[in-house]
Amino acid sequence: MTRVRRFPLWLLAIGLLLNRNSAPGAAISFRNEVEAVISKAGCNAGTCHGNKYGKGGFKLSLRGQDAELDLLALTRDSMARRCNPFEPEQSLVLLKASTQVPHEGGLRFKKNSEEYEVLRRWIAEGTGDDSPGTPTPVKIEVMPEEEVLIEPADRAQIKVWATFSDGTKREVTRRAVYEPANNLVKVTHDGLAQREQTGETTVLVRFLQLQAPVRLAFVPARPEFIWREVAEANYIDHHIFAKLRTLRINSSELCGDTVFLRRVFLDLLGLLPTEREAQTFASDRHRDKRARMIEQLLERPEFADFWALKWADLLRNEEKALDRKGTQVFQHWIRKSIAENKPLDQFVREILAARGSTYQNPAANFYRAIREPAQRAESAAQVFLGVRLQCAQCHNHPFDRWSQDDYYDWATVFSRVGYKVLENKRSDGLDSHEFKGEQIVFLAHNGELTNVRTGKPATPRFLGSAGNRSEDRLNALAAWVTAPENSLFARAQVNRVWFNLMGRGLVDPIDDFRPTNPASHPVLLEILAKDFVGHKFDTRYLIRLILNSRAYQLSAEPTATNAGDEINYSHAIPRRLSAEQLLDSQHEVLGVAAKFTGYPAGMRASQLSGGTPVRRSEMKASSPEMFLSLFGKPARLLTCECERSGGTTMGQAFQLISGPGIQELLATSDNCIGQLLASRKSNRERITELYWRALSRAPSEVEATAALTYLQNAKELRPAFEDLTWSLLNAKEFVLRY
Amino acid sequence: MNTTSCSSACASFQATRFSRRHLLKVGGLGLLGLTMPALLQAEAKKQGPRARAKSVIFLYQFGGPSHIDMFDMKPDAPEAIRGPYKPIGSNADGIQVSEKMPRTAKVMDKVTLIRSMHHTMKNHNSASYYALTGHEPPSDDQRLRDSLELFPAYGSMVDRLAPIGGEMPTFVAYPHVIADGSITPGQHASFLGKAHDPLFIAQDPNSPNFSLPELSLPANLSMDRLAGRRELQKLIDAQSHLLDHSAAAKGLDDYYSRALAMLNSSRLRNAFNLDAEPAKVRESYGRTTYGQGCLLARRLVEAGAKVVTVYFSENIGGQSTESGGWDTHGFNNTRMFPIIEKYHLPITEQTLPTLLNDLEERGLLDTTLVLWMGEFGRTPRINGNVSRDHWPDCYTALLAGGGVKRGFVYGESDKTGSYPAKDLVRPDDLAATLYYLLGINPHTEIYNSVNRPVMISDGKPVMGIMA
Repeated sequence: MTRVRRFPLWLLAIGLLLNRNSAPGAAISFRNEVEAVISKAGCNAGTCHGNKYGKGGFKLSLRGQDAELDLLALTRDSMARRCNPFEPEQSLVLLKASTQVPHEGGLRFKKNSEEYEVLRRWIAEGTGDDSPGTPTPVKIEVMPEEEVLIEPADRAQIKVWATFSDGTKREVTRRAVYEPANNLVKVTHDGLAQREQTGETTVLVRFLQLQAPVRLAFVPARPEFIWREVAEANYIDHHIFAKLRTLRINSSELCGDTVFLRRVFLDLLGLLPTEREAQTFASDRHRDKRARMIEQLLERPEFADFWALKWADLLRNEEKALDRKGTQVFQHWIRKSIAENKPLDQFVREILAARGSTYQNPAANFYRAIREPAQRAESAAQVFLGVRLQCAQCHNHPFDRWSQDDYYDWATVFSRVGYKVLENKRSDGLDSHEFKGEQIVFLAHNGELTNVRTGKPATPRFLGSAGNRSEDRLNALAAWVTAPENSLFARAQVNRVWFNLMGRGLVDPIDDFRPTNPASHPVLLEILAKDFVGHKFDTRYLIRLILNSRAYQLSAEPTATNAGDEINYSHAIPRRLSAEQLLDSQHEVLGVAAKFTGYPAGMRASQLSGGTPVRRSEMKASSPEMFLSLFGKPARLLTCECERSGGTTMGQAFQLISGPGIQELLATSDNCIGQLLASRKSNRERITELYWRALSRAPSEVEATAALTYLQNAKELRPAFEDLTWSLLNAKEFVLRY
Repeated sequence: MNTTSCSSACASFQATRFSRRHLLKVGGLGLLGLTMPALLQAEAKKQGPRARAKSVIFLYQFGGPSHIDMFDMKPDAPEAIRGPYKPIGSNADGIQVSEKMPRTAKVMDKVTLIRSMHHTMKNHNSASYYALTGHEPPSDDQRLRDSLELFPAYGSMVDRLAPIGGEMPTFVAYPHVIADGSITPGQHASFLGKAHDPLFIAQDPNSPNFSLPELSLPANLSMDRLAGRRELQKLIDAQSHLLDHSAAAKGLDDYYSRALAMLNSSRLRNAFNLDAEPAKVRESYGRTTYGQGCLLARRLVEAGAKVVTVYFSENIGGQSTESGGWDTHGFNNTRMFPIIEKYHLPITEQTLPTLLNDLEERGLLDTTLVLWMGEFGRTPRINGNVSRDHWPDCYTALLAGGGVKRGFVYGESDKTGSYPAKDLVRPDDLAATLYYLLGINPHTEIYNSVNRPVMISDGKPVMGIMA
């Protein structure tokens, strides 16, 4: 303002006429200034006037996505009471926001604050839209992009610059919106990020429609900290440990052999090592025994079973849509692909380009399961590209670059998938989701989705790429998705494998890649993805690489500095066994096979082809199906990892404590307890064997003594052995993968 | 599908600079996957309205009871609409009910009727999902599939936002998992996570050996033996040290402790012990699954449970005088009126007034909201089978206690009971009312399965019914 006075008045007038972007004294730009101020004040947030219903009769576009609509809302709606160019101070929008009249949303900015001034001046200038040719923002840059702050440093000044379409660049720090991802940090109006607690966080910076993340790590001083050098097994360790060093965190020790063995068995096969396997491994003195064990397990048939299960979950292999035969052929195809180590790009190409009978070409079941084009598009983006598009169906994605047009152009790629239902012997004639019988998936010659924003047919276009003019859309789609240069695909797939082994994705949640949800180790993810492509999408290569890293083999026991770390892989983080792992392990220990309705005897839970049977009301309380459902086996109705629940519940505790399933398992007369009692072994030997079976180790002296005492005090031996076995199956060591 | 409600996104913005009454973020998973339930629960309470009700008993009338033949009589309408029943006066000024409900007429001074309920879902599963969650389903699908994209039951939401803790469960539901062809969505915690599922009891409270299966140990497993097992388990756990550092281990162990406490708890066990009730009381509720279910609801609320959902029937029924719900189309040569006269109305007559009187006598009615309703009403015009079909455009919900007016009618239907004539109320608004009465801000934000912020209710509390 002070500079203005130095200008002759006529120059000011010209400035106003030219309507230059933000030059002092220039007219206020609605799109660049007013919209920024409205966002900064939070007026257009989803819980406020940006809600789809608006608030208090006043509706703005969500986060200012639609400047035209906002201009109308401010200047025309409500009999134009909101802005009063003749008495700007009396404009309702100013009176409300500064709470000079009651405002349900509270104080947004004070009278005469800079936000107030921008709005007031724009109103006084006649509430006009920007003149044609007004520069638009094209890029924002933030400083710092990433910073590690070591105590006593507890704050960082974030600065933001916007570049406009005319090449000009200006600082917009005071106009940008700051959104911390959690409560570790608070950010002031002017971009000063202040620590609340130590830890890592991301602050999303938004200016108009542009966003950028700032990653901050607040590290405690730890003056006594001494970095302990560790032997790096491969480049994964290089990246993991370099970051830990920066964060002043020492990793845990390498885990012991028993823990390692159970870990790889559970992660690769979904099973526990047998007594003999555990003992052989324990007595193996070779230095490379871990690497050799990894090789052996990768070749086991159970590996294909267990990893097929993961894909079957995501590809919605469930009975209602695919029917029993369909789930079986689909499961068989997935399992076979894994068993023969089909390159992952080929696997996905076969799915996305699939046509024909779903019985003859099992891969076509992916399309059979998902009947709506928009859902096919969302699912394909989520599973294969790690992108969640759902938000963009009704407005531009608030945290990502995807617009509503991107959404419909992508969705219409899937619009011509059609079905020829050869027969449908559904048991419920009213259930349009149920299909029983053969179907042909085909690609129709016409039909496009309507873009709801434009009301016109969408133009087929792959996500973030140019138009697609190919004759055969599905073939083109399959090629585009899996192309080596499509970094979305390789990164998403690497991240999924990493998640399955390490317990947390480098990007988390694993199917939510976006600039505003940065990876914990961006460079590592990049290199892993390139390496994966370089090795022709060889999943076993990737698994082998991760399993042989020191990072994978760290103990769960924390050090003085890493107990609080949950995202940097400084130690293993124990997690509950999955439904199938738990059920199969329990049965394995007792030497009893579970009986699944409609499946041949001897099937393990991780070999079942379908999802959870739909009718939970028809499940017997003691049935293994009920157990699986209770422990989070997904119904396979979403193409989302999130559908599988690893959470703990009261119902699970009851099931493990006194549930009919576990009672039956313990009481079966010819289970391993029965066999042990029928043998000539001593009680001590019997106890030892039970320990090896359940925990892959011998009992400690304390445990052996306590168990023997328990047996001696018991009236009957069998119930006492059942109690002992119960305690092994309920030990944290058994229930958790750690 | 869930893309229809892209409503909220400014939550994290709130954390930076402003604190606001209405906008609080109750995170499931934040951007970094952190959960802070305790902190957020405290915040939900602090910023919520004053709690008028401590508990809710939701009596869900699956199949769709006829509003015109029960609580919204139209004596002046043509015969083809008004039906065979005459209205009678009740003990509340100006409120008439069906002549088939003389006992219910005597408790109308305790209730609020909302006669202007309205939505457009014509199928049982889609409409029931709407009724059980307060969220409009993505489509009016007869076999709407139950998936984690859909919203949770009211009780699960309450368990997430305002749990009671201790050995009593916050949310109990029984005695059926309701289904029409496929399981009706809206009966569990959905994207909130299994930890917020109801304590569900698939047992008939009217059966002589009714008990909570979780609380009944197998014959050969005594509490002593269980204690011995627990000791052995603790010994093994001490060897692995997992409990010293692992949150998962500690969480799991807490559940064991809580489950064992429940097994030992006389409070919970007592609540389920219907035999402790005098025979006279048991008779007064009616010796039916539903009657004893309502008695159990009263006992659970007395013991501290917060949301109790009693499903009237397992299925939509409507063709039998011995079981089933209210879906009386007259199919297969059945007829609506004789069926409800023999089955549905007598059960309702016996049980509903008894429950309200019993709660009142025990001083519980003021703090217990009783909500009685189905997924829709029935067609004003009697069909070719002398029965009525589905009618979501206008129906009645009955509320009592828990901070709502007594002897009051809110809203009005037109002269044929076809459409609301005044003060239309959507299921969204009823849900908001329920949360409001429990002291929970109806616009509290939570995160759905894809981490999108959504409000627990898009409706407005019906302030006109607040006492």
